[in-house]
Amino acid sequence: MTTQLLLGNDAIALGMVQNNCRVVTAYPGTPSSEILAGVVKFKKRLNREIYTEWSANEKVAFEIALAASWSGLRAATTMKQVGLNVAADPLFSAAYTGVVGGFVIVSCDDPGPQSSQTEQDSRLLALTAKVPVFDPSTPAEALSMMQAAFELSERHRIPVIFRPTTRVCHAVQSVDVNGSTPNPLLAAKTGFQKDPQRWAATPAFRLKLHHELNAKLQAIEAEFETSPLNFINRSDAQADRTLGIIAGGVTYQVALQALSELGVSVPVLKIGTPYPLPRKKVAEFIARFDQVLVLEEPDACIELQIADRTHVTGRLDYAVPNAGELSPEVISAVLATVLKNVGVAVPPQPDDALLDSLIKSLAIAPRRPRLCPGCSHRSAFYTLKRTFGPNAIYSGDIGCYTLGTNLRAVDTCVDMGASVTMATGFAQAARLTGDKRPILATIGDSTFLHSGIVPLMNAVHTDARFVLVILDNHITAMTGMQPSPGNDYTADGDLAARVSIAETVKACGVKFLRVADPYDQTPFADLLKEADAFARSPEGSVAVIIADRPCVLYDDTPIETEPIPVVITEECDGCRYCVEAFECPALILRADKSRVDVDYSICINCGQCIDACYKGFIIPKPMLVEA
Amino acid sequence: MERKFVLAGIGGQGVIFATKVLSHAAVAHGEQVIASENHGMSQRGGSVQSHVKIGGSESPLVRRATADALIAFDRTEAMRNLTFVRSGGSVYVNSPDGLDPALLPRLSELNIHVHALDAGAYAQAAGLTGAANLIVLGFAAAHSEFGLCLDDLKQTVRTLGPAASIESNLRALDIGAAKVTSE
Repeated sequence: MTTQLLLGNDAIALGMVQNNCRVVTAYPGTPSSEILAGVVKFKKRLNREIYTEWSANEKVAFEIALAASWSGLRAATTMKQVGLNVAADPLFSAAYTGVVGGFVIVSCDDPGPQSSQTEQDSRLLALTAKVPVFDPSTPAEALSMMQAAFELSERHRIPVIFRPTTRVCHAVQSVDVNGSTPNPLLAAKTGFQKDPQRWAATPAFRLKLHHELNAKLQAIEAEFETSPLNFINRSDAQADRTLGIIAGGVTYQVALQALSELGVSVPVLKIGTPYPLPRKKVAEFIARFDQVLVLEEPDACIELQIADRTHVTGRLDYAVPNAGELSPEVISAVLATVLKNVGVAVPPQPDDALLDSLIKSLAIAPRRPRLCPGCSHRSAFYTLKRTFGPNAIYSGDIGCYTLGTNLRAVDTCVDMGASVTMATGFAQAARLTGDKRPILATIGDSTFLHSGIVPLMNAVHTDARFVLVILDNHITAMTGMQPSPGNDYTADGDLAARVSIAETVKACGVKFLRVADPYDQTPFADLLKEADAFARSPEGSVAVIIADRPCVLYDDTPIETEPIPVVITEECDGCRYCVEAFECPALILRADKSRVDVDYSICINCGQCIDACYKGFIIPKPMLVEA
Repeated sequence: MERKFVLAGIGGQGVIFATKVLSHAAVAHGEQVIASENHGMSQRGGSVQSHVKIGGSESPLVRRATADALIAFDRTEAMRNLTFVRSGGSVYVNSPDGLDPALLPRLSELNIHVHALDAGAYAQAAGLTGAANLIVLGFAAAHSEFGLCLDDLKQTVRTLGPAASIESNLRALDIGAAKVTSE
């Protein structure tokens, strides 16, 4: 037995490698991003031949893995929950057609949300698409459950969703890594076999496939009734009949901990396969108790499938909060209330109200995430804001640069690629309302390649007038430096053809395209004005500027010119303009607010803040020496 | 016996690395470990917090008012996360002047012990900028009630690498540990 500390996402990756998965595709997104890098790491360590790719987007990733499955190989695709929306079209279709090699779709949910635009529940999308779900509660279980997921998919020729949440993906646990024995591939390795009535089914055949899918789900539900993934945590015949709990995912572990902290013993039915729910097993469990509490994240999926909820409490009757993470504090509070309602005495919660109120009285401000010192996005946003002012419409997108909101140069953020379409919509609406304000859209390189190209074609075709700034920092930075088609290497680190963003923009029919370094703030501002004038001119159209400078974390030599160390002169009066309008983490307002200092331990000498003091108190260091 | 830790700091202070050292040291000691890390947005200079549970349940999160110790690399983050500490628990904090005096009477009533050291200054003086996190960790480990000994942490630092920072990380642990006697 070898015990290793494994990140949940690494456990998922190892599960894929150990179970002969041959193709893994992904688009990064918190909390799923580490899985593909884990697959690359383990395939090299275990010497397995596995095709891995960072795909352009989730739909692309999904379909490439699906074709591998149709070719008889085990395949997987990984994404975050909102990424599954992008891949929803093939998901629904693949449920009907079915698969050949085991096909596992990993969709990571983000209760909280910690790093997402919604608290969407992938299990509910699975329920709508009619695809079975596996829901691990720990890294250790994620590793062992992967075998069941591949085997079920292969046995029933159906895609399956593997749904961890943030607290599984980003938990680290000591795991017995040899515990899972590689299992043989069930499907024949014959390559793609033609079957047009299935793989290219027309509506008449689709109806047949739908009947087939329903039969599969019925058989799978029957299998789940006796699956070891659904179990009662203790076979205590003497157990009190007062209360039972049904729980899945990490919530199961948090509930067990909360019960032990409350010193209460309650039987818990752990559900590892929330869809299709083993309804007979669940009904039998419910029948044993006066009341049953359902605990699950981030929404109601198990509870929704329980037909008779007379003795059931949970999200649907508002006993469990319907937004936010089910933290240990929330769960112990819910348990305390439910236990009290059924007449079980519980000890008081351990929190100290006085200490809480003393800490609250200190009014500790939340420390919001900020762009890194030297980040080129800051320079671009600062210049945008200085050029077009507070009234312009700033249409933003998803990535590190969503933090442009801090600099008030991002007014909207909807989903991947929406900066371009929303700007298009604002421009069309402005024609009708007579709104003359400048419209500026910002999007990163990876997001542009993910879903900005088609919207840009649309904008050209419909003559939407705005300025699009592509913030090209050469990498998918927010999620941890994954390559996109804009990079010249693959997920494995091998050489790859680089797709030129500039050529892509031109091919969309854009007539105004310039590439500029946002570090050169004055020329960049002039260019922005020129682009805006072009977008407004009668013969003009949408104008595109590529703000070209690598991420400071990705490339440690981003400053091609000499470093520009800065000092803040004695005259600084602590007016806070620079800390608010430029918001570099290396500019620190003193506790007594008397002046701003440079934190040289994190300053990267980019000199970009010099113009952020309109009074001229931030100056290059050599100038001070000369004076 | 189950031991629960909360580590808190600011993105870039090495909260995740300190968490790693603590978790690996416990595993090397033959313990079951589950820990919870922050990823994503929080790494862009925001508050970072991780939970480590040794020898206990498989839930990755520590409930408020149940942590045996809070290890904080920043004074403000220490106060933000103070409610995690159980009555009778300890706080190890990188701060030249401890915690806000307004909190001290209640902390004393709750028998919560606050151990502060100016790890930032010690790190700078020793030319170990960026290793303040391990100074705080060494400082915590040198307290008998912490439950993990300094030698376990040092062995882990040697195994984890990277080679170039092993020596400075070991020095940082030692500097922190040496400050306990002079507390």
